[in-house]
Amino acid sequence: MAHLFVVESADFLFLQRQTGLTWGNLSSHLSKLENAGYVAIEKEFIDKKPHTTLHLTDKGRTAFQEYRQSMKQVFDDLSV
Amino acid sequence: MAEKINLKKIERKAYTSYHQDGLIDVFAGFLILSFGLWLILDMAWMGWILWFVAVSAYAAAKRVVTIPRIGFVKFAPHRAKALVTSALIVLSLFAFLGVVAFMQTEGGGTPLWLLFAIENYMLVIGVSVAASFCVVGYTFRIRRMYAYALLTLIMFVTGHFLYYPLHYYVILLGSLILLFGLAMLVRFIRRYPLSTTRSMGDSGNEGQ
Repeated sequence: MAHLFVVESADFLFLQRQTGLTWGNLSSHLSKLENAGYVAIEKEFIDKKPHTTLHLTDKGRTAFQEYRQSMKQVFDDLSV
Repeated sequence: MAEKINLKKIERKAYTSYHQDGLIDVFAGFLILSFGLWLILDMAWMGWILWFVAVSAYAAAKRVVTIPRIGFVKFAPHRAKALVTSALIVLSLFAFLGVVAFMQTEGGGTPLWLLFAIENYMLVIGVSVAASFCVVGYTFRIRRMYAYALLTLIMFVTGHFLYYPLHYYVILLGSLILLFGLAMLVRFIRRYPLSTTRSMGDSGNEGQ
């Protein structure tokens, strides 16, 4: 989600290169995130080849920001 | 415990990975080299025309070389804004200097600062080109552009004292950047062969 958070949208290949995950692993993660409503997946054909574009939904962005806030709180509490 | 998420680092990685193909170096090197060659023929204006051709060729090369290998990404709008702002600042600066020079020349005689600039043209060109590299480096977050800026400064400051013709330095600078860009491009193509990765939801049975 962090990789999608910093961009507007990206395709499957770009995410795979950035995360270093395998096709199956990344696909599985994204399907779960899509089911949760955090990621929107658009499929289309470019030059007769399937192409998948992904972007975070508003709900996903909010959830990610909340997660970051709570993680920051945890780290702050630990450092006190 | 999970490592803290460094969004700036992730964004930077995404941005730099998109420019590790060396295409921007190849095109910049080619343009500078061709500008030097046109200078020999006393047709420097051809070099400016090539800039317009190069911009569209660069976009096409990105589509053919980079995107099939590392995928497509659309960056956040603030990145595009930064690019446009940087380009506008550089263009406005040059336009402003041009207008001031024109007005002062029209007003009677050549102003002192313009005479100084003409006399030290190697330094002026060197600083201008180096500044342009810095702007590109800052906008695209490409650190090697700062190295090109330094190389440009060294070459043109040296040239100021050696009195060789300008096109020698332009051709040498363009050739060096072009060669480095080509080396990066070859490395990129070897590192990222054309992906056979399936798209999400693609069962991989096409053609069977």
